[in-house]
Amino acid sequence: MTSVTATPCTSFFTRHEFAIRRLHSLTGIVPLGAYMVVHLTTNASLLNGTATFQRAVYAIHSLGALLPIVEWGLIFAPLLFHAIIGVWIARTGRSNTSHYTYANNRRYKWQRITGLIAFVYLMMHVWHLHGWVHFSHWVELGERYGFAQFRPYNAASTMAAAMASWFWKAFYLIGMWACVYHFANGLWTAGITWGAWISAAAQQRASKVCTAIGLVLLVVGTSAWWGAISTDPVAAKLIEDQMYEANLKAGVVPPSVEKRTQPDPVLGEAAPAVAGEAEASVAPASE
Amino acid sequence: MIAPAPLKQNQPSQIRVRVLRQDGPGQDPYWQLFDIDYEREMNVISVLQKIAAKATTVDGKKVSPVAWDCGCLEEVCGSCTMVINGRVRQSCSALVDRLLQDNPDEIVLQPMTKFPVVRDLLIDRQRLFNSLKRVKAWVPVDSYYNLGPGERLPRVDQERAYPLSQCMSCGCCLEACPQFNKIELTQEAGETQEQFEARKQAAYDTAFIGAHAISQAMLFNQHPTGKALAGERLDALMGPGGVATCGNAQNCVAVCPKEIPLTTSIARAGRATTVAAIKNWFEGSGEKKEQRVGE
Ligand code: HEM
Ligand code: HEM
Ligand code: SF4
Ligand code: SF4
Ligand code: FES
Repeated sequence: MTSVTATPCTSFFTRHEFAIRRLHSLTGIVPLGAYMVVHLTTNASLLNGTATFQRAVYAIHSLGALLPIVEWGLIFAPLLFHAIIGVWIARTGRSNTSHYTYANNRRYKWQRITGLIAFVYLMMHVWHLHGWVHFSHWVELGERYGFAQFRPYNAASTMAAAMASWFWKAFYLIGMWACVYHFANGLWTAGITWGAWISAAAQQRASKVCTAIGLVLLVVGTSAWWGAISTDPVAAKLIEDQMYEANLKAGVVPPSVEKRTQPDPVLGEAAPAVAGEAEASVAPASE
Repeated sequence: MIAPAPLKQNQPSQIRVRVLRQDGPGQDPYWQLFDIDYEREMNVISVLQKIAAKATTVDGKKVSPVAWDCGCLEEVCGSCTMVINGRVRQSCSALVDRLLQDNPDEIVLQPMTKFPVVRDLLIDRQRLFNSLKRVKAWVPVDSYYNLGPGERLPRVDQERAYPLSQCMSCGCCLEACPQFNKIELTQEAGETQEQFEARKQAAYDTAFIGAHAISQAMLFNQHPTGKALAGERLDALMGPGGVATCGNAQNCVAVCPKEIPLTTSIARAGRATTVAAIKNWFEGSGEKKEQRVGE
């Protein structure tokens, strides 16, 4: 048969298109969607006060040495996979909303537009606050240009300080809204992709549920944004420093330089040298 | 007979028709304007007949008649499908009076944009039919010997199958789909006819299969005899350009003249392939590898 003999050495993507697209869909929901829900909720907790937010960040950072593995394995790797395949998928579609002005066709177009906004937003966002990787030279270089700004043990103050300019305020609001739409609408299309909702009526019901989820996330996300832009970094830092001192004494958090804003009023400027001592003084407390 | 609609006061005496013409495959398209005498109760086919009879543009130039296709004239064969005023539909059921209500200035006729143009409004639907072959959209009976009466279909299954069986392969669903892109290949110098056909076949076999074929796969997978090929159909849907390529824009279901629940078929295919993929993962992957070595 000609069709068999003629099949050329097709690309890896063509041969595994089904698996790759399904993995793309899956990564959009878990871990990425699930992460976003938790992330926005954690960030919104800042509205309850600096201490609440700081406690949440302590909890996340109690993973210690495991944290980079969790970050790369469960967040960054799936994110980069979904993002790169997503850009490819968006490039292969040819939107035609000018001729076919149906609501679902617009949703299709906006799924792609918000995906591309999310791409720019997340690449910048992670660099801006987290820094992507924590090699000291890389972080120093980033810091000099206003990136890698977040310090987990000064969570609220460093986040609020990083959001000071109008550019970042607007950037975060648009980026976060785009992510929320993308996830809520993506949840609906993923239900069709995997065959969770089949009949037209079921798809309509699911669409309403996904819209509701999207609206709730919109409120949560906007609260997170508001918390980040309305917090006073100076006042927040005082609270964080008190908490750090107390937790350090109690042995709940290890002393750290890179997770703290420098110069550090608790450990002092010569932190690295003191850190060893502090560790020694903490040790009996944990017995 | 339905009585003709009462004459309106301000009926036009002439209609302007703008046609996107193309002299042959791969050639540059160009627009031509025609004025034709208005009559009541015309459809686009009768407009095209008038244009063919006149074959003169608005500036009095004699031109070759516009080529188009039609068959049944009652919206069941699909062959007269084209893009009318920017929207894909059948020209036999596109009524002129209705079109003039939307746009009184002119009627715009274009060939479908997702298929290679043969000439003017005639296009080549080979890829559409190739998709039906990919999913084996038929019942496997060779009629060598009498199989006896077929299995009785429960009413719910009949009601699910009937709407899907109305597909007339018109291609509207493909024309409106943002994930279904045009493939137009031309024979290269030094390429034999066989080589060219093989290259085209390979391109058609890996590109998006389209909503019509996904729906037909679901139709035959629930048919008592058609079920025999269910696994092969799902394999095709899980192959390159299969159901996963759909981006859920749902234009297909909105434009289908037969109102076939295409997005329900797509979701059903999504579920069936999910189940099949899990099964393959746990049971069939070893078998598959052996097969590949054997090939
Ligand atoms: C970083 C840049 C991103 C890009 C370029 C992107 C792109 C895309 C594209 C093009 C689609 C449509 C896929 C299709 O129709 O087959 C999609 C679907 C989806 N995305 Fe993203 N995305 C990004 C980030 C995210 C994030 C952060 C999340 C989670 C919060 C997410 C969740 C989803 C979900 C749930 C779907 C639906 C999958 C389906 O329909 O089966 N995406 N994405
Ligand atoms: C108002 C909105 C947002 C605020 C205030 C915010 C805040 C933050 C902060 C402070 C960090 C640093 C965490 C660290 O370095 O440990 C971070 C990291 C991150 N954010 Fe956001 N974020 C927002 C929206 C989003 C959205 C919508 C997404 C989409 C999924 C997202 C994805 C991420 C990712 C992937 C990281 C890096 C992972 C990590 O640090 O563990 N963020 N964000
Ligand atoms: S599914 Fe509908 S639009 Fe598509 S080919 Fe069949 S009849 Fe035409
Ligand atoms: S639902 Fe899928 S097949 Fe139908 S128009 Fe949208 S992308 Fe195309
Ligand atoms: S001529 Fe058959 S559908 Fe129009």
